Amino acid sequence: MDVPVREVFRPSSLPEALAVLSERPGARPIAGGTDLMVQLRDGRAHAAALVDLGRLGLDLVLESESELEIGAATRMDRIAAEPRIRSLFPALAAAASQVGAWPIQCRATLGGNLANASPAADTAPPLLVEGALLKVASSAGTRRLAIEEFFLAPGRSALAPGELILSVVLPFPGTDAGARTVERFAKVGARREQVISLVSLAGRAVVGADGTLSEVRLALGSVAPTPVRARHAERVLAGRAPAPEVRREAAAALQQDIAPIDDVRAPARYRRLAAAVLLDRFLEEAARA
Amino acid sequence: MPEPVRVTLTLNGERRTFHVPPGRRLLDMLREDAGLTGTKEGCGSGECGTCTVLLDGSPVTSCLVLAASVDGHDVVTVEGLSRAGRLHPLQEALVSLGGIQCGFCTPGIAVTGAAVLARHENAPAEHARLLSGNLCRCTGYTKVLGALKAAATAGEENRG
Repeated sequence: MDVPVREVFRPSSLPEALAVLSERPGARPIAGGTDLMVQLRDGRAHAAALVDLGRLGLDLVLESESELEIGAATRMDRIAAEPRIRSLFPALAAAASQVGAWPIQCRATLGGNLANASPAADTAPPLLVEGALLKVASSAGTRRLAIEEFFLAPGRSALAPGELILSVVLPFPGTDAGARTVERFAKVGARREQVISLVSLAGRAVVGADGTLSEVRLALGSVAPTPVRARHAERVLAGRAPAPEVRREAAAALQQDIAPIDDVRAPARYRRLAAAVLLDRFLEEAARA
Repeated sequence: MPEPVRVTLTLNGERRTFHVPPGRRLLDMLREDAGLTGTKEGCGSGECGTCTVLLDGSPVTSCLVLAASVDGHDVVTVEGLSRAGRLHPLQEALVSLGGIQCGFCTPGIAVTGAAVLARHENAPAEHARLLSGNLCRCTGYTKVLGALKAAATAGEENRG
């Protein structure tokens, strides 16, 4: 069955794409379509017109001295395989390798995963701990915004009408000599593939020579109206080694950072428990580092 | 009526042009406009893998692909896997080793499996991971993975 749209635009340049988006308020950008096509079919999303982003050259990974820039139309299979992403931003690579299953990863894009502002977007928690910036553009100009400012509510982002995500910019982590950075992503679902996460967690911490943690950043998906940082838990862990009692304290603090709901996929009570388990597993790895 | 969109692509090795409604899915263009009914629709939401085709060599669920977006690209369906009237080695293996029950998921499995073999991937754990997006409601996974392994091993020997 066709999805209900009246027009498709296939711009071959960014200015052309931005002009269409600004002139047609009902137009929606489409990249891989793995989420939007289902929403359109089911009537959960509406678009007078679709603007196909496939010819804009937004599938790229660029490295400068201080940051890595990933184009919004870069596919999950590439993000999962790219050596620089795997070594510098392993949580993001891991999340990309767990989106849907292979045929979804060969089509779904990083920008698309974020633009829908789903609380369950798998790449969001990694990008929150990695301090990502989004480069967005409209016909009025280009701006950068921190990923923390991007998610407003389920399905609602800080993108203004006519604005498009161009790329995700990841500043390189700086690590002092003698210290090690531990970065992980994990999600819980009914099966490993093709599930919407019940809970996901990304963590990054610098582990000092004495085992104490610093620069601790934790973020979770599917446990609040948006992907969230776990700042209470981060504060508990800062400057301490992840000994068992510290881990218990962090798990308790984590409960103040999240506000899960009961839904068809899992009760809130289960999500709270699973979030604590994912945090504990991350800290166990940090303790071993 | 919305104005049709022109889509020119390489389909199973042939250059073809279709004029389709703007909201047409690749799945429907293949089945309705190109008459290639080997590709089946299962869930229609990208979860079962039954409608998998190769887009520029990568497996994708065609129910989620906007037909207009494949203009200028290369699509291979299950009909395009055979060469000179001979089934693809994975299809041969699925037949000879009984990797088919009701058969509805078989086209998608053959297409994803062909993409796995094109990567020269021989590790059974990787076979299972890469095929995990193709559901078989008869649950005949053991023989499917057996056929994939046999085809991979045969391919390895042929390459010497």
